[in-house]
Amino acid sequence: MHAPADQLPVGLAACDCLTPFGDAPATAAALLAGRSALALMPVLGRDGGDLVPLALFGAMDETIPPRGLPALHRLAAGIPPAAWGTARCPVVVTSSNFGVGSVYAFTRDHDARHLAHGAPFASVELLRREFGWGGHVQVFSHACVTAHLGLAHAARLLHAGLADRVLVFSFDFVSAFVAGGFHSLKILNGSMPAPYAVRPTGSIGLGEGAAFAVLTRLNGPPKPRFRLAAHALHNEMFHFTGNQPDGAGFAVCAAAIAAATGGRRVWLKGHGTGTLEGGRLEAEALARQFPGAPLTGWKGGLGHTLGSCGLVELAVALAALAAPGGKIPGTVGSTGPTCTDTVALAAFDAAGFDGAILTSNAFGGAHAAMLLTHA
Amino acid sequence: MLERFLHQVKVELPPGNETAAGARARLADKFPRAALRRMTHLGLLLGSALEAIPLGPEDAVVYASTFAETRSLEDFLLSFPAASPLLFQSSIHPSGVQQVLIGRQQPVARLWPLAGRARLVEQALLTVLLEPASRVVLAGGEETGTWLLAHDLASARSFAFAVVVTRSPAGATGRVAFARGAQDESACPTLENFTQALTGRHGLQWSGAGGSWTLDWL
Repeated sequence: MHAPADQLPVGLAACDCLTPFGDAPATAAALLAGRSALALMPVLGRDGGDLVPLALFGAMDETIPPRGLPALHRLAAGIPPAAWGTARCPVVVTSSNFGVGSVYAFTRDHDARHLAHGAPFASVELLRREFGWGGHVQVFSHACVTAHLGLAHAARLLHAGLADRVLVFSFDFVSAFVAGGFHSLKILNGSMPAPYAVRPTGSIGLGEGAAFAVLTRLNGPPKPRFRLAAHALHNEMFHFTGNQPDGAGFAVCAAAIAAATGGRRVWLKGHGTGTLEGGRLEAEALARQFPGAPLTGWKGGLGHTLGSCGLVELAVALAALAAPGGKIPGTVGSTGPTCTDTVALAAFDAAGFDGAILTSNAFGGAHAAMLLTHA
Repeated sequence: MLERFLHQVKVELPPGNETAAGARARLADKFPRAALRRMTHLGLLLGSALEAIPLGPEDAVVYASTFAETRSLEDFLLSFPAASPLLFQSSIHPSGVQQVLIGRQQPVARLWPLAGRARLVEQALLTVLLEPASRVVLAGGEETGTWLLAHDLASARSFAFAVVVTRSPAGATGRVAFARGAQDESACPTLENFTQALTGRHGLQWSGAGGSWTLDWL
């Protein structure tokens, strides 16, 4: 017996992201053009190492103040004003790495100023001060499904009447800590990622990204154009970095979100990092649950933006849907053959669909999926 | 008012000088030998706290830790430039509770790992109250750091707790309640304060998140 999806629809009053391509519309346009922000760079930044695919805002090496702060200010400038961080307008911050790059920097240059924002709470405290948020800032950290948790929790706060609006803010920057870690697992290697492609060796790219969403009740104001209608979560607990070989974990999450779609014709934005086994299991589970639905993945263009990926890719999806023509980017970086015939290598028309499923996965066999619909 | 009832409260508060190796020896009979070798201090303490707490795939876990996998983080950072894959995995939040659940091959519906500090306990309890699962396990803890502790980036004390939380008062030993309305805020108990309250069955009261909070014992 597995848990059903949360069906607590909320409005998306605002949503944007920042990637090395720019904001969400610029990122969607770049992906539609088939561009990739990934380039081969030393895995440890100035400390060298093998060349691996990374999509960064600038040099990886950490600075004082943290090098990601200007990008976060640029993103935060677009957040609609509200008494953020109060009980009625809480902030939910989600990240996987927070300021750990600063702790890595300390171990290299021994400058203790890096440590002022190294721990998750200290990293978030820096944001709170910089952006003028109050004390109601909740912090989730669940690796690469983190942003989904923040969005799902925000929906619960709104439906419980405990908040009027919720700001979900997500970010992750690449440091030698995380690049070195994934390189040690051999999945971040010298090859560019090709999500869902059938090939001899899997590979991922890492990217930097930040995003926010302002969630409201469906009756606004303002009347939202899109809604997040449902969230499904599941944790396999089979292995730290592997999944059940029969794909059962993917199937549980896919079945739960499918039950919430209510017969809508949906397209799918998968996690699709470029790993072989994970990609195949995900594509097969989604194809079984949503026969014929096109599956796209964008980490071949953006890299894997880690804990922020769920929200970054939601913002890209919204920008693509809102753009004239309503084209959804295809699976950048991949060519055939693919592990299922549902993988959309090229961009496709959003017309004819009345919803989208967006998924993410994480260490520990964590699975997350959300249903995006028009309001 | 939102309220839930506490069942099966279990706390691990080892002596302040306990090391991971000491915990490994003390708790050896609770874990498979292969898993024991790789578990962190926090993982061991959480495993002991979660021992005999039944979980099913429809249940939810709320996991609170400010510093999380401190020793793995310290050791992973010192492993560069030959970064250790094992230490990388175990340094990522929420590895502490994942070590236990993966060891048990125990799937759960939802895992909510929190990582704040000042209002961490309040936020974890709020997450519990909003969770529709009929049984929620609230777990948390810290492990003592070494060089990160000198910079206030680690806990000075190792501890862990686990509590089964349900909507049913039958057989409950405690209760957590949130009454909406309070606008003023008072200091939220720290994770260590909360753990001590669970140990000694002390009541707690404070205000925050737009309401007043009560932990009391039945």
